[in-house]
Amino acid sequence: MALDGNIHDSARALELGLATGLGAIGPGIGVGFIFGKTIEAVGRQPELRGQLTGLMWLGFALTEAIIFYALGMAFVAYAIA
Amino acid sequence: MLPVLKVDFNPVSEFTDFVHNPYVKLPLGLDINKAVIYMWMAAAVTTILTLIVFRKGLKLRPDGKQTSAEVIYDLCQSQVARAGLPEEGMRIWFPYVATLFVFIWMMNLIGFIPLPFGERHFDLFGLSIPEFQIYAATANLSVTLALTLVTFFATHIEGIRYNGPVKYFKSWMPSGLPSPKPWGLKSPAVLILLGLIALIEVLSQLVRIVSLSFRLFFNMLAGHLVIAVFLGLASLLGTYFVLVVGIPMGIALYTLEATLIAGLQAFIFATLSAIYIGGAIHPDH
Repeated sequence: MALDGNIHDSARALELGLATGLGAIGPGIGVGFIFGKTIEAVGRQPELRGQLTGLMWLGFALTEAIIFYALGMAFVAYAIA
Repeated sequence: MLPVLKVDFNPVSEFTDFVHNPYVKLPLGLDINKAVIYMWMAAAVTTILTLIVFRKGLKLRPDGKQTSAEVIYDLCQSQVARAGLPEEGMRIWFPYVATLFVFIWMMNLIGFIPLPFGERHFDLFGLSIPEFQIYAATANLSVTLALTLVTFFATHIEGIRYNGPVKYFKSWMPSGLPSPKPWGLKSPAVLILLGLIALIEVLSQLVRIVSLSFRLFFNMLAGHLVIAVFLGLASLLGTYFVLVVGIPMGIALYTLEATLIAGLQAFIFATLSAIYIGGAIHPDH
């Protein structure tokens, strides 16, 4: 596959990839924490499983949304650059 | 070369191009375009499914349909509404959050059925048929922002109605602050800090609009984009060896999105709406 194009296009592509990838680090760690801590809590008190699962999904969705802020801003920068 | 590789494939175009050529053009930007049709389909499917279940009344010994409907109702009541709404707000706002949950869920699910609403057309036995594509109404910021604004105004109107404007806007401030008395002997630093806290609290109320609408919008948009990119990887890169990776990954992501993310995002939207409205009705806890 031959590479052609200009620096401007490649910088835009790099910007999209870098912004999305760097923005995924934090939410990735956070989502891992949420699931891990929920498993730990269910291990300690299995009778609370129902309540903890609801809270876990709420926390998961709130944390996971952060990556979409990075993705959204990356798209905006990609579109206007 | 496979014919599929010659297609000019742009995964973003199906989410942007439809705005410029609506089916019916109306003034004030109230065009009937693809997103509107998808919303109407979701509303129709929700209504018809509910009517099918409840048309003959509820039975004491429920059959399969009624059991499924009762599971969804129980989820709305025990998980979504009880998470935020107090008892006195239940009568007015439980129908709202339950409708939000079912309607958004249905919009997300219809978004995973390939339907002929594409911009480009292809020939099938002489008929010109639009391309099949997966598009969700919720992958459109206008739809999610409209739903969010309903929740936003409902929150503040209910807060003012139940508490009165003075008590409600005071309740935004965190408890334990020194009370501002402009004529008392307060140091100006305290007043400046109180003003900053008030500014932050007002901003946090406004950021709720952004976070609630962007969460749903980007979840669905990114989900559809990732599926489209993996399935169209061969066309994007110009080689069909990547089909070995692209097609299984696309199918796996499709399954994840359609089973988990579609329902989860509807659940989160409805739960957060309930929490916001409940927090405005009873600001002290």
